[in-house]
Amino acid sequence: MNKLGFARKEKVQQFMSVTGASEKVAIQTMKTHDWHLEGALEAFYNEGNAKVVQEKNRWELLFNKYKDPKADMIMADGISNLCNDLQVEPQDIVMLVLSWHFQAETICEFSKQEFVGGVQSLEIDSLEKFKKKIPFLRSELKDEDTFREIYNFAFDWAKEKGQKSLALETAIGLWQLFFAEMQWPLVEHWCQFLEDRNMKVISRDVWLQLLEFAKTVDSTLSNYDAEGAWPCLLDEFVEYLIEKGHCAKKSDE
Amino acid sequence: MSAQKKRNFQIEAFKHRVVVDPKYAEKTWKILEHAIHEIYNHNASGLSFEELYRNAYNMVLHKFGEKLYSGLVSTMTSHLKEIAKSIEAAQGGLFLEELNRKWAEHNKALQMIRDILMYMDRTFIPSTHKTPVHELGLNLWRDHIIHSSKIQKRLQDTLLELVQHERTGEVINRGLMRNVIKMLMDLGSSVYQEDFEKPFLEVSADFYRLESQQFIECCDCGDYLKKAEKRLNEEIERVSHYLDAKSESKITNVVEKEMIESHMHRLVHMENSGLVNMIVDDKYEDLGRMYNLFRRVPTGLALIRDVMTSHIRETGKQLVTDPERLKDPVDFVQRLLDEKDKHDKIISSALNNDKTFQNALNSSFEYFINLNPRSPEFISLFVDDKLRKGLKGVTEEDVEIVLDKVMMLFRYLQEKDVFEKYYKQHLAKRLLSGKTVSDDAERSLIVKLKTECGYQFTSKLEGMFTDMKTSQDTMHGFHAAVGAEIADGPSLTVQVLTTGSWPTQSVTTCNLPPEILGVCDKFKTYYLGTHTGRRLSWQTNMGTADLKATFGKGQKHELNVSTYQMCILMLFNNADRLSYKEIEQATEIPASDLKRCLQSLACVKGKNVLRKEPMSKDIAEDDAFYFNDKFSSKFYKVKIGTVVAQKESEPEKQETRQRVEEDRKPQIEAAIVRIMKSRRVLDHNNIVAEVTKQLNSRFLPNPVVIKKRIESLIEREFLERDKTDRKLYRYLA
Repeated sequence: MNKLGFARKEKVQQFMSVTGASEKVAIQTMKTHDWHLEGALEAFYNEGNAKVVQEKNRWELLFNKYKDPKADMIMADGISNLCNDLQVEPQDIVMLVLSWHFQAETICEFSKQEFVGGVQSLEIDSLEKFKKKIPFLRSELKDEDTFREIYNFAFDWAKEKGQKSLALETAIGLWQLFFAEMQWPLVEHWCQFLEDRNMKVISRDVWLQLLEFAKTVDSTLSNYDAEGAWPCLLDEFVEYLIEKGHCAKKSDE
Repeated sequence: MSAQKKRNFQIEAFKHRVVVDPKYAEKTWKILEHAIHEIYNHNASGLSFEELYRNAYNMVLHKFGEKLYSGLVSTMTSHLKEIAKSIEAAQGGLFLEELNRKWAEHNKALQMIRDILMYMDRTFIPSTHKTPVHELGLNLWRDHIIHSSKIQKRLQDTLLELVQHERTGEVINRGLMRNVIKMLMDLGSSVYQEDFEKPFLEVSADFYRLESQQFIECCDCGDYLKKAEKRLNEEIERVSHYLDAKSESKITNVVEKEMIESHMHRLVHMENSGLVNMIVDDKYEDLGRMYNLFRRVPTGLALIRDVMTSHIRETGKQLVTDPERLKDPVDFVQRLLDEKDKHDKIISSALNNDKTFQNALNSSFEYFINLNPRSPEFISLFVDDKLRKGLKGVTEEDVEIVLDKVMMLFRYLQEKDVFEKYYKQHLAKRLLSGKTVSDDAERSLIVKLKTECGYQFTSKLEGMFTDMKTSQDTMHGFHAAVGAEIADGPSLTVQVLTTGSWPTQSVTTCNLPPEILGVCDKFKTYYLGTHTGRRLSWQTNMGTADLKATFGKGQKHELNVSTYQMCILMLFNNADRLSYKEIEQATEIPASDLKRCLQSLACVKGKNVLRKEPMSKDIAEDDAFYFNDKFSSKFYKVKIGTVVAQKESEPEKQETRQRVEEDRKPQIEAAIVRIMKSRRVLDHNNIVAEVTKQLNSRFLPNPVVIKKRIESLIEREFLERDKTDRKLYRYLA
């Protein structure tokens, strides 16, 4: 969908919201009708897509099951119910993967559009299917690029809206999730370092660069390059490690 | 027509058949052989050259050239063998002379023989590719005389011995030497090289190796260099007298290598007389000699330069880090200048004004001046001192010289912005207190700073001058407008300072005495009346006042005090005793300033216009103060200074430092944005390098600070990291 222009994207969105069809179907139908919304809609219903309509209802049913009584979205309670039904811990990283698939904007919240759109694209229409999807979602973390995408996604997802940076507490929680998955041996040192430094927030740059750092610099720092344009905080982290005697200072080249 | 006749004219070959006597060749050769004998026996006068020439000619013509040539070779050879015998027989010193004499004779004979055999030389020899007569004669001489077993070695030894004699100071027959060496050269450069030059260089190397070893053990560096220089000149002179000019570079190489190169490290570092001592003692001659000698060997100058640089750095470092020196900034800077003068003089008078040395000197100064973070402050204080009093009564040219020197030190500073900060503070004090010696000197320095660092560097400083000038005009206008109304009140002089141009001062107000306040308000009304939309605030911490006071016995004095002090003293017009608390309440001067003022009014001998109870050095909160009736002074005018530190105190220093750091941030960011705007994409190290280059004229930015600024710009979305190469930044706009 990202390849589409802005106008077309909007039309697809409209189509989807009217018919409740999946994105794929929407784009397909729109394309065959030369991007005329009305024509496409007419054709869609004429072709007897009642099944789709029915499916749409099933997604909505799923959504309504967890919906917050006061708002048209799923809030923390709903999510914890969902977790119970799926038999995963709310802190499980798989929930993060799910949020990424749903393109959720805010932590602990799914809007109706996010949830319905999400389950559609994952082709889930029942709790059973949902449960079966979990191992797949977990396996996605094995892919390096997807992992990075989810990692990058997490920053905006988790930060307070309207703020530029991520609160340290949240950041540490997320790092422990991510780096447990990735098995970065320095994660405990890193968190400790940030607490010692009395950091309050983490900037986007540091967030993004830390993953690169964890990936490229080995745990003994033998290939750490002081000229490597790492954010200052990471340079200071290295100094901290050396000072603590965790790593030997690199001999001058 | 005549051509017609000539065509019929025919030239026929001369068909006269010469009958050759079968013994003709033999006979003719005998005649020629005889002649050659005679020539060698100095009996040539009886010979007819015409006849001999004809005979030789005929022999060649009748194809007896071969016989003639071989005859010549064998005859000459036999003569040379005899000559060799006679040379060999010569005793001792006569050997060379005999050789020389025989050589001269041989040459002469050779000349005659060549003349006789000219025809053979011209026709037979080129066509049969044989050696021409003259060369043949030289070759035979070489083979039978010079290379004869009994002569070759003896000749070599004799020559080398003579050179050795000359080196030890004896006089030798240079003419004879020259002739013999010339002979060797005539015999071909290979003969000269093999039979003389090579052994000569070897022996010389041995000689100088030994001699330099002796010298270095017993001489100091200066003497050694003198000796080396003398030896070098001797060798050059020797070459010009009797050796081949091509040998000069070779023999000087030997001397340079043995006497200089192999000892240069020891010489430079020689205790009590090495390079460092020469520099310390300003031994221009010795230094010049060392420079000229060491220049001859490949790494010589680099060695001098390195040692000199490390010496300058070391002494400079000591100078700038010596805590004693830090007590007197003026002396500190004066010493730096002296140090620079000293080394400049050395380079100009002893080191040929060598550019590389000048650069080394500059980089050394830059290195150690910046070791002391207070250098910028001190240089500004030095200028302050000079412009306050140091340059009184000095001619304009001399002022320029001093200022130029200061500028030179300024150039070495890496943190020019720190200098600017201090300079601004000091200039403000000078201007406000009217203490500057010469406006021209002030302006001249600002012009120099401007040329060095650009308009932006001095714009604020110039603004200060403008303010002073405008204030004068304003005061004229003020007096003209309201002069009559305030004629019997205190006279007021106001300097209106533009915010921003002057060093920022925290505004600390105090309660002015009502007399003053009245005039001040008048001025305020006047000023705001002419300049709408402005705001005036009184900087009471920067002013001064002149007070007329009458003391107990009726003696009058004029007291020159600060505004704060004036406020305190005016209180005593209405009271004889005031407690500290009362003064504090009445004036509202900040406690630290108040204590300092009171201290200077009551505790300084000779200026104690107030009396304090109890008498003690320090001011306490429950002290009481009295007007000191018994005050007396020799002078009518009494200047009461405030106890102020000339140098900055520790917290002030911290504050200035912090302000400088804060001021740098926008400059660094501006530089980054400027660079990125034009380059769009650049990697980290290049940005750091470019930024450093751009800001170099003002200060040396710390790479970590640059990095922090880059991060801040990323945060604010001026820049972003490249998606694939994280060291690459992109400009976003």
